[in-house]
Amino acid sequence: MQGFIQRNPVWSLLIALVVAVLLWLVFAPWSDELEEVLGRKRVFLNAIFGGITLGALYFLVASGFTLIFGLMRNVNLAHGSLYLLGGYIGFEVSEWSGSWFLAFPVVFVIVAVVGLILQNQVFRRMEGEELRQTMVTIGLSVVIADLMLWRWGGQSYTIYAPDMLFGPMTLPVISSVRDSGEIVYLKYPAVRMAILFAAIVIGVGMWLVLNKTRLGMLIRAGVDDREMLAASGVRIQYVFLAVFAFGAGLAGMAGIVGGTFQSLSPGEDTRFLLASLVVVIVGGMGSIPGAAIGALIIGLSEQLGLVYAPTYSVVFTFLIMAAVLAFRPQGLLGERR
Amino acid sequence: MALAEPRKSAVQPTWVERIPAIWWALLLVLLTMPAWANDFILFQVMGWTFVLGMIALSLMFLAGYGGMVSLIQMSVAAMAGYMVAIFGASGVGDISMGLPWWLYIPIAIVIAAIFGTVVGALAVRTEGIYTIMITLAIASAFFYFTRQNYTIFNGYSGFNLVVPPQLFGVDWRQPMPFYYLTLGCAGLCYGAVVYVSRAPFGLALQGVRDNPRRMAALGFNVTAHRVASYTFASVIASIGGILLVWQNAQIAPGTAGIPAVIDILVIAVIGGITRPIGPFIGALIYVLLRTFSPDVLLAFGLSGERFKLLVGLGFLALVFFSPDGVLGLWERWRARRARRRDPLTGGEE
Amino acid sequence: MTETVPAGRLSSVSSGNALELRGVTKMFGALAAISDITLTVRSGERRAVLGSNGAGKTTLFNCVTGDFLPTGGTIRLFGEDVTRFPAYERIRRGLRRTYQISLLFNGLTVADNVYLACRGVSRGRFSFLRPRESDALIARADELIAAVHLQDWRDISVANLSYGQQRQLEIALALAGAPRLILFDEPAAGLSPTERSELIAILQGLPGHIGYIIIEHDMDVALRVAESVTMMHNGTIFKEGTPEEIENDQEVQELYLGDGHA
Repeated sequence: MQGFIQRNPVWSLLIALVVAVLLWLVFAPWSDELEEVLGRKRVFLNAIFGGITLGALYFLVASGFTLIFGLMRNVNLAHGSLYLLGGYIGFEVSEWSGSWFLAFPVVFVIVAVVGLILQNQVFRRMEGEELRQTMVTIGLSVVIADLMLWRWGGQSYTIYAPDMLFGPMTLPVISSVRDSGEIVYLKYPAVRMAILFAAIVIGVGMWLVLNKTRLGMLIRAGVDDREMLAASGVRIQYVFLAVFAFGAGLAGMAGIVGGTFQSLSPGEDTRFLLASLVVVIVGGMGSIPGAAIGALIIGLSEQLGLVYAPTYSVVFTFLIMAAVLAFRPQGLLGERR
Repeated sequence: MALAEPRKSAVQPTWVERIPAIWWALLLVLLTMPAWANDFILFQVMGWTFVLGMIALSLMFLAGYGGMVSLIQMSVAAMAGYMVAIFGASGVGDISMGLPWWLYIPIAIVIAAIFGTVVGALAVRTEGIYTIMITLAIASAFFYFTRQNYTIFNGYSGFNLVVPPQLFGVDWRQPMPFYYLTLGCAGLCYGAVVYVSRAPFGLALQGVRDNPRRMAALGFNVTAHRVASYTFASVIASIGGILLVWQNAQIAPGTAGIPAVIDILVIAVIGGITRPIGPFIGALIYVLLRTFSPDVLLAFGLSGERFKLLVGLGFLALVFFSPDGVLGLWERWRARRARRRDPLTGGEE
Repeated sequence: MTETVPAGRLSSVSSGNALELRGVTKMFGALAAISDITLTVRSGERRAVLGSNGAGKTTLFNCVTGDFLPTGGTIRLFGEDVTRFPAYERIRRGLRRTYQISLLFNGLTVADNVYLACRGVSRGRFSFLRPRESDALIARADELIAAVHLQDWRDISVANLSYGQQRQLEIALALAGAPRLILFDEPAAGLSPTERSELIAILQGLPGHIGYIIIEHDMDVALRVAESVTMMHNGTIFKEGTPEEIENDQEVQELYLGDGHA
């Protein structure tokens, strides 16, 4: 952090400025002139919070993707399929048991096992052949998508959140000030706050595991230098299996989350695969903090774009990606290879 | 790693190449096809084969000679198709300008080529699998953009009634004229790729693929060469795209949706990305599967909708067992035949 | 359409320095592969760079050709500051190099390899037209192939050449176009005695206006083909002088010739 500020004073200043303006816009009550320019504060706040929550969902999907990529140099283009599969299974489990919470461990285990099988039976056989692995994952995503279409059909499903998380909760953020002087606080769906909270917990947890445990040390060593890790006598295959299973399971759980606050239907797999791609391209391949920042940026730009320039919201995402590629091809927090 | 097959040296005069008999036979079959094949075969099977083959050919050129697996080619083709609909005539009178064909066709190709070049310029900043990720991401951005934008791309519904011009008093959308049109364009594109592959540009591109650092040390601007190859490939893709929109008589965001983008990769890989003929073989296999697999699946008591499953499994099997596609299988089979020759004829065939 | 670099550019070189390095430093992380190298090579001069493994010789070459950008210092090539130039711009100005480990195009034939090298330093790099038989560059490529005695292997894929032949081909690539300064990175490594004398003959037979810098472990080769010698040690220049001076230098003897070479 300190080093970054020293190396890039201009960028640091710009970033600090943008963050400060955003914080001020969120917390300060808006004057009438400001509302005239930017519209209702409630709309803006909803877009911001929607963006952050969407970013949290993207992070859940993309962090597994980027972890797998960073360690194994394998672009798992079937990652979106794991997301959708997790969503469908989560739907079945929560329908059958009536418990939303039960769906998470069940889905995590099932999809992680799918990931184990993929790593052990498919990728291990073509280690180092990046292009072939990528092709295989494309083939797998086509097959899995069609199998899911066969089983669950073309309609869309929504997973219902438990009563506990149903309905809105009030946030300590001023939405507007009535003429009477009464302050109206922002109301926001509780389930979305729960998702955001969970994503932060998982993100911090991953960061802690990666930076404070022996397993994390092995994974980071593997990201930096695979040959060295293999030569050091560590059973690298086990590390690969663990990471692949974890990344897959995370994508599966994200499927439940996505099925709760959006919906599940054919095509969502590619949508989330692409979101993951964009997030890791922007954030930097193989970097967990990069995935977090990338997810936040993409989520915010999508939601703000949707509110303020509906026709061009995709263009914003694309422009961000193009700008990153043009000026920093390795991604915001990526290491130059 | 040599993706494209080593051939006779370019330094030799290659103008009068000895063309094997099998090529003459193939040419004869293709030229006389309308005499003995029905309209369905001509239009739905062969027409699609040539169109998809051309788009996949542009991918083959980049992947086989340049080592860059670009998934943007379908989007470039669709861009050309959109431009034909926008500058030419379509059922959406508000947007289409109705320019004459000799104007809108070059405009469409130029705009699509610029689009492909810009994407290429972004994609070549990274290498290997990154290229796949980035081109896929841009391709999807193009898809979502065309779906959201109504002022230019007419959003979800796209353009209908986009038909070829009535040139020389011929309705080019009739099966036989369209067959010859696509055959001619496919032949031209194929010839162009074969020719360029042995020209300085193509040779240098293969050099860049094998060893970019050495190419720079020989005085080549590697980045510029890669970007230029995107331009060349985009022209081929856009010709395919124009024919595609005429074949469909319409274009919509789904034309360049992610499944379509992936299909082009599947086609090129099934056929084999080491040779320019591969994409056409792949396209023929793909189109045959798509056209007839419902019947076959139904015959086996499965739902005809499982066509994608069949294609996906076939693709997986091929990637597993023969990374260089059907062409690779064929070559290995021939090599084995050659080792134990046929006792009757003594020949390989 | 396909002529080589105009001959007029050759005459303008005969005076002045081919290469001037001033304080060139290259860091890899915290490690300085070369530090503060200041070196001048006159036009047409033939210089050997000696030093043990890890002395920074190849890194120095990589900085000169532009494979790496130096961390600090300036590089002037034929009087022009090329410190921030990409590799291909330096090559087009008459710099050439060979690689320690042959970097050739294995999928292409010998003739194609040399033809590409000729094409790289002439116009028409982007030509979509196939060369005709009468193409001047094809004739030039054939001359180069003959110069390194590979004419019998002209249409053979590079992957099928012997190691020594690949080394010879490396030299042919470096001679393409109108080179003015060539960097040879251990051209004799792995060669048989016969191939070595052939190499020495090729180097000694180069036209007088072509200067070169040669990294060579074999003192016999190095001292026979060089007029001046630079000793490197731990990323810095340790000694400079004529072959005789270096050969008789006490410190050099201890440092370099002591370990089994003498």
